[in-house]
Amino acid sequence: MAVRVILGLLLTVVASGLAGRRLLMLYRLGRAGQPAEPGRTRGVAARVRAELTEVLGQRKLLKWTVPGTAHLLTFWGFLILGLTLIEGYGALVDRDFHLPWIGTQPWLGFLEDLFAVAVLLAVLVFAAIRLRHLPAREGTRSRFFGSHLGGAWLILFMIFNVVWTLLLYRGAQINTGNFPYADGAFASEVVARVLAPLGTTANDVIETAGLLLALGVVLTFLVIVVHSKHLHIFTAAPNVAFSRRPRALGALQPVRSGGKLVDFDDPGEDDVIGRGAIEDFTWKGMLDFASCTECGRCQSQCPAWNTGKPLSPKLLIMSLRDHALAKAPYLLAGDDHAGVDALAAAEAQRPLVAEGGVITPDVLWSCTTCGACVEQCPVDIEHVDHIVDMRRYQVVMEASFPREAAVLLRNLEHAGDPWGRGAANRLDWTAKLDFPVRVLGDGEALPDDAEYLFWVGCAGAFDERAVRTSQAVAELLHTAGVGYAVLGSGETCTGDPARRLGNELLFQELARQNVATLTAAGVRKIVTTCAHCFNSLANEYPQLGGTFEVVHHTQLLSRLLAEGRLTPVTPVQATVTYHDPCYLGRHNRIFAPPRDILGSVAGVRLTEPDRTRERSFCCGAGGARMWLEEPLGTRINEARTDELLATGADVVAAACPYCIDMLADGVAQRAAEGVTVTDVAGVLLRSVRAIPDDPEGATR
Amino acid sequence: MKIVVLVKYVPEPTATWSFADDHTLDRQNVEGRLSELDEYAVEQALRIAETVPGAHVRYLTMGPARAADGLRKALAMGGDDAVHVLDDALHGADAVATSLVLATALRQAGFDLVLCGMASTDAEMSVVPAMVADRLGVPAVTLAAELSTDGSAVTARRDTDVATEELTAPLPALLSITDRSGDVRLPSFRNIVAAKKKPVVTWSLADLGIAPERIGAATVVRAVRPRPAREAGTVITDEGDAAVQLADFLAANKLL
Ligand code: SF4
Ligand code: SF4
Repeated sequence: MAVRVILGLLLTVVASGLAGRRLLMLYRLGRAGQPAEPGRTRGVAARVRAELTEVLGQRKLLKWTVPGTAHLLTFWGFLILGLTLIEGYGALVDRDFHLPWIGTQPWLGFLEDLFAVAVLLAVLVFAAIRLRHLPAREGTRSRFFGSHLGGAWLILFMIFNVVWTLLLYRGAQINTGNFPYADGAFASEVVARVLAPLGTTANDVIETAGLLLALGVVLTFLVIVVHSKHLHIFTAAPNVAFSRRPRALGALQPVRSGGKLVDFDDPGEDDVIGRGAIEDFTWKGMLDFASCTECGRCQSQCPAWNTGKPLSPKLLIMSLRDHALAKAPYLLAGDDHAGVDALAAAEAQRPLVAEGGVITPDVLWSCTTCGACVEQCPVDIEHVDHIVDMRRYQVVMEASFPREAAVLLRNLEHAGDPWGRGAANRLDWTAKLDFPVRVLGDGEALPDDAEYLFWVGCAGAFDERAVRTSQAVAELLHTAGVGYAVLGSGETCTGDPARRLGNELLFQELARQNVATLTAAGVRKIVTTCAHCFNSLANEYPQLGGTFEVVHHTQLLSRLLAEGRLTPVTPVQATVTYHDPCYLGRHNRIFAPPRDILGSVAGVRLTEPDRTRERSFCCGAGGARMWLEEPLGTRINEARTDELLATGADVVAAACPYCIDMLADGVAQRAAEGVTVTDVAGVLLRSVRAIPDDPEGATR
Repeated sequence: MKIVVLVKYVPEPTATWSFADDHTLDRQNVEGRLSELDEYAVEQALRIAETVPGAHVRYLTMGPARAADGLRKALAMGGDDAVHVLDDALHGADAVATSLVLATALRQAGFDLVLCGMASTDAEMSVVPAMVADRLGVPAVTLAAELSTDGSAVTARRDTDVATEELTAPLPALLSITDRSGDVRLPSFRNIVAAKKKPVVTWSLADLGIAPERIGAATVVRAVRPRPAREAGTVITDEGDAAVQLADFLAANKLL
């Protein structure tokens, strides 16, 4: 007995020492980061719900059925087998140990064995998945491309060892009469039957050796885990608990420096805008990096990665983590860096974003901020926030960004719109309408009979295709008798492209001007046709003190249909497929209204592309990429167009001017005869107008 | 080396311009900006300053009170300080008067190298640089697309319609810079913050010793009318005689 106790405790002390040292280092590394934004613990109910569904229920993992189920079994297996660990430690001291109260009930023995077997099966499934998706064979298409492969195999092997050593000593325990369960532990009983012929003495030895072996394996596993990407076993639950709720999409976080909001009117001299070094990230950012399981789910949906760009959200997060760990000795050395080892010192010299840096500029600028990665990530990592934060540093602190973006920024700064057309031309789209559109003059308040302010947006005012949408919506509102007015020359860009490009200064300038205009005009309700304007107005302007009730035109139109204020009369004989714009769908969860509108039009046959709703594939224009060239890989808009054309639709409908532009270009590129691209409102207008309009109208 | 960049605060080209009763542009009611073409001169000055140790970059402008915003923008891009010539008597000054004021201010400030944009984006006359150089009696190299200096002379590449020439002038000298000289930097946050503390001094005509009577305009604006809307062009449909029609049109308009 004494041997068992001494050896067992010795193993435990050594392993806890090794693991503890590592965990302490990781903790200190997290502390080297910036304070996180407030609100990370607000809304406890939602956080508890997330823990229940995402951690205990493994909701996001189960989106992929086979690996999800295997992971569910492993996760629950570890929880249940935690009981056997207690039993194991108990047995070190008292061979006849069992858990107090419930420790001898057959169902518990059965449950433990059931999960032992389940974990074993899961390991087999995981191994099979890894063999099937070998990066050596599948290259960049593999979800494991760039992951730490050796480490992953080692972990699988260790899980396998945990289970077989467990079953070994339990089998021996049965034979020596020290097993807590008289019945139920079916797998252990099988092992017992195999071991029985060896005799009592041998079983005695196997029991003790097996127990120590099993403990040794678990403890080794612990040490390996805290040194590997399987750290997520410990970090996933807290990471989910502290992540942005309901999700890290929609609004971008306001800029903080050292945990404090930056006052853009009077910024402090040491304020750092964005993240320019790994220690500029918050501890939550560090926790994100430590939580990545390298599963590749994010990457599998990333439009950039899927079209051959160098950006993989997985590799990005992994690079940041690997860099943080490599730089850690330097960061934790305090002010005296003399004793820091050469490798860490060299890593500390590596710039965060640069050619040869941790992240290359091509990676950083490839992101469309579509949020598909955030949507997929089972541990709720906030990729988009991190990417934009790094862009903020590059643009604001370093004035470094792709050259083509200079034109966009200059136009936004001087003309107030990305095209550089200027405020004076903002009403051109109304010229051909045969009904009046009310325009608010400078300083004029929204009249009482105008329920909505119609936010036209830069695209809606200047982009040829989007102008048609503005005209259609204006006509539909006019027909439905909805009172509205537009700002005309009083409107400027919401600042969405500037902010997503990282130019927070310009965003602040534009957004504050708009908030002032809207507030002065007494605006309470806004309707807009642009998914990006919608997102800024509804989710980001509150950060600047502008709180309005913002609806997307598809929401308003579907309500007008439901209320009978709009009636589709003319059938539109067409197969229509609907493309969910990222900023309407994934970012803002508006999925139903556009479909309701299409469904209300007689003759329309609605067909969904393979990737739809939350999994919709980006058109390629978000994150200011609309104004950047796309020289790397293949074109995102063409990839998405192919998916939409594969539905056999003759009308591609969307609900965002960027999407419509990108998809119309894609359709033109594919020379898809007879396929038109239009806003949902265009389809509705064709049906609401009693007279079928000109054949040209198909594109409206 | 003392580098002085002449900059102008101009009305935003995309804004709607309106005119005051005296037919001058109503600058109070139109957004303004640092003339885009001057940004190229600022950029070149800063690039030189980066390579010449101890170089000092100063901005000089003449304009209404809001012109100080243009100076702040230039200072945010880089540079050390700025001079703003501000005087009510300057209202409505023409190019001749402007060159007098700028030349006097330059002499007072001292300089080795004067840079300016090839033209202002509002009046687009391109004459002020040459006039200033003439008044100062220093060599002028206009429309420079590339420049370098060794501290005692400045060398510039100048693209004309027929040839590319390379000119060298001893310092002090004045150069006007084209928009082909290279990309202009975006002010970085640190520079924007720092620019708020950089000194901007204001000089009046009295400070420069210029009698207000010497300022004025040699021409008088009698009326200002909005440009008539563009008329639809002539569309020629080819029925075999399009080339003839086109030739006739050009001939009728004395273009052939
Ligand atoms: S936001 Fe979209 S483009 Fe950016 S990394 Fe995530 S999936 Fe890729
Ligand atoms: S970031 Fe999330 S989705 Fe992507 S590999 Fe890591 S854990 Fe998986």
